Parts: sequence; structure tokens; C-alpha cells
Amino acid sequence: MTITLNRRTLLAGAAGFGAAGLVALPAQADSLDDIKKNKKVRIAVAMGIPLFAYMDAGLNPTGSDVETARLIAKALGAELELVQITNAARVPTVQTRKADILIGSLAITPERKRAIDFTIPYATLDIIVAGVPSLAVKEYKDLIGKRIGVTRATVNDVMVTQNARGAEIVRFEDDATLITAVVSGQLDLVSTQTAVLASMNEKRPNNRLDVKFVQQELNLGMALPKGEEPLKAWLNDWIRTAFNSGELNTMFKKFHDRDLPKDLINRET
Amino acid sequence: MRYELDFSALADYWPDFLHGAIVTLQLTAIATVLGMAIGTLCAIGSRSKRRWLSRAVGIYVEIVRNTPFLIQIFFLYFGLASAGIRLPVFTAAVIAMVFNVAAYCSEIIRAGMDTVHPGQIEAAQSLGMSTPTIYWDVILRPAIERVYPALTGQFVLMMLSSSVASQISTEELTAVANNVQSFTFRSFETFVAIAPMYLALAGLLKLGFWLFGLVAFPRRRRLGTAL
Repeated sequence: MTITLNRRTLLAGAAGFGAAGLVALPAQADSLDDIKKNKKVRIAVAMGIPLFAYMDAGLNPTGSDVETARLIAKALGAELELVQITNAARVPTVQTRKADILIGSLAITPERKRAIDFTIPYATLDIIVAGVPSLAVKEYKDLIGKRIGVTRATVNDVMVTQNARGAEIVRFEDDATLITAVVSGQLDLVSTQTAVLASMNEKRPNNRLDVKFVQQELNLGMALPKGEEPLKAWLNDWIRTAFNSGELNTMFKKFHDRDLPKDLINRET
Repeated sequence: MRYELDFSALADYWPDFLHGAIVTLQLTAIATVLGMAIGTLCAIGSRSKRRWLSRAVGIYVEIVRNTPFLIQIFFLYFGLASAGIRLPVFTAAVIAMVFNVAAYCSEIIRAGMDTVHPGQIEAAQSLGMSTPTIYWDVILRPAIERVYPALTGQFVLMMLSSSVASQISTEELTAVANNVQSFTFRSFETFVAIAPMYLALAGLLKLGFWLFGLVAFPRRRRLGTAL
């Protein structure tokens, strides 16, 4: 069933359902133009992700995603408005234009590409299955019948859901809650990324989780609403320039202690 | 301004939605029965002449009514697990809901009990009725009958706030909606779809309370008037 929203159906809908106003998206505009005109850019980051976007000791947002956002705002000559969101809100935030750009360690996937636009990759991350040493898990089928924790709306969630039918998947709203669940001992098995695992093990030094197997290396792209071609072209140019000059890699390495892959910007084309 | 509402993407997920709604209903049903029972006991306790008892109930009610439900549920699920007590998620959600609603419930019932005129209790005493009989027939039943609409509202609110349990990975209706929107990217449609489901669940809960009221309050059933 599809309903086209124009003024008439919207008014009819609004009469019965007051919240219909929620879909009132701003009129199509060139957001690169708006950013340069207003000297303000809204960049969404998914907070609570170790190394990528988190609060430092002084409760200031930092991490490689946050620093990337700062570099971009500087290059645009605009003031940065950091929109802090949860993992599950990443795609909806872009779709509803609550931010101009999302830098939220969001992996480029075909499903997401149908809903939003991506730039070329600006970083990567490894997603893994990890668990307590006593558990014998080597591949997806070993997960069947076991309880495994994931963060909702991540590639981990999708991959475990598809490849391990019969596993009991326990979903949390963001990485911070997933970490709490593991640290407090509610979970013995998780599907997450290496940076998050490091943060979990830091908090439970006596009962560390081992990497059971690597699920995939993901290419992360900045996301923006469909149809923002000028902004997308500008961001792609910026990523190429910053990658080639080494600026992006230096910043990334500061947080992740590893280099970006050499062929990063030629992937996903 | 155009936005294509496309509900077809959700069609495959109806069994999940149904399952979520059933979990919400189960949480609500158990929490209602236990919450009502504990709330009633707390209401009696708060009127007790034993200072320590009324004081203890007072502290419990103040703590629950002045902290967010999310914090209470996190405390029960993560806090207790850190202390070595590993509750299954459904149990933790039910306990948090009972813990929460019983406090509100006890205040509502206490207010109802306060409306019973002391003369009525003295009259019952002078007729030689035992204390349990006085509590049950003279104080509690008319008290609950008076505050029944407020209680119904409180339990509907509790059913709605059970959506918070999705935060600790309870697969209830809101958690299912969050999953579905993360798989389909049809967030607006998903939430449009669950709003009427919650409406229907609230209707069902109210119907249940109304039917229970008919059985529990024969005076109202015969006369059709409030106390």
C-alpha cells in the first residue's frame, strides 16, 4: 500500500492523526549553499562509540568522528553545530534533515544507499564476534541457541540476524548501553567492533572477552540526504585532499593507533 | 513537499509487531496484578500507627515518584547484575514496572482510604466487626471504588511507559518498531503503525478494568452510580 502525501491527503491525514506534521520536510534546497550563506553547519555524530565519538574526561565530545566534523566545519568556514544522536537514530536523522551531514561511523551498505546518500569512505572499522574464553564459537552457526548482544540498527545487527537464525539476539539502543550490559555481566557474547571491545575489556580486566571471529571490515561513509549533489561533491573532494595530504590519517591514528587502508578512497566507487 | 508513505515494506514484519504487542500485554498484565496488590499493602502501611512502617512506605514512595523510570530500570538490570544478581530481562522489566507502579498506586489508594469518614469506621467497630473485616468491607472496597478511574489511568500510563523497557533489550512493541525501522528505514511508517496498536492496547486494558469493576463493585453494577 502506498499513499502519496500531497496537501490534500496530508490535510485529511492531519485531521485524523495530528502527528502527520512530522513529515513536513523543508523545501528542497541546496544545503551547501545554505551552509556557506548562514556560516553554520549541522553535523550529526553518534555518541557513545569508543574512539569514534565519546566524551573526554572534561565531558567534551571528542573522537575521530568528532574531530573529522571539526575539520570539515573549518574547511567550510562555518560554525559547527554538533548534533549528538544515538546509533539507531542515524539514518532517520539524515532522512528527516535534522542534520546536514552525518559522520557517525556509518558503514556503506546497499540497503542504506537506497535511503540516503554516502560519500566515498573516510574511515574503516572491523566488526567482530567476541565472547568469554569458555565459549566455543568459531563461526555464525556456533551462535545458534546462544544469547548474543548487539547494538540496534548496526551492520552487526543485520549480519547476525541474517547469518545466525536461531540465535537469541539481544538488542541495545547504543554502544554505551551494550558496554554496560557486558561490563555488568549480563552478556557473555557480543557482536561489535574492535574499538568497543577494547573499551569493554578495559572495564573488566579480570574477565576479558576474546575475539571469536572477524565478521567484516566495513567502509564508513559520511551520510547526507538524497539529492544533495553539490555538498556530496564538496565532501568527496575534501576527503580526497585530506587523505592524500595525510591530515585525515594523522588524526585517525591519534585515536585508533592504526593507519587507514592505503586504498581507502578508491573503495566503494 | 512530497513524502511517499509506503507501508508495504512493513507487511513482512506483522508477526514481529504482534509478538511485540503480546510481550507488552504480558508485562502489563503481570505488573498490574502485582502492582495493585503491593500498592494496596503499601497504602495500608502508610496509614499504620507504627511509625517505622509508615515512614518506610513514605520513603519508598518518594524515591520511586521522584526518580525517572529509565534510571530505575537501569538500576535493576545493570546495577544488580554488577552485584552478581543476573536477572533475565523480562523479569527485570516486570520487577521495575511493579516497583514503579506500586508506589503511584499506593498514593492513589491511600487518598481513597482517607475519604472514608471516621464515623463509618466507628460505627463498624461498635457493631463488633473485626479489624480485617472493617478494612476490607468498610475502608478498602469503597476507597478503591472511589479512585477506580484514577487507578485505571495510572495503569494505562504504566502500559505506555513499558516502552522504556526496550532500552534494556526487552523485545516489546517499541523495541520491535525500532528493529523494523532500522531494517526498513521506514521510520515514519513504523511509528504511524504502532501508535494505533498502543491505542488498541490501552483500549483493551480499559475494557479489562471496566469488566473487573463490574464484578468487584456490585453496588455500582446495580445502581450505576459512583459512590
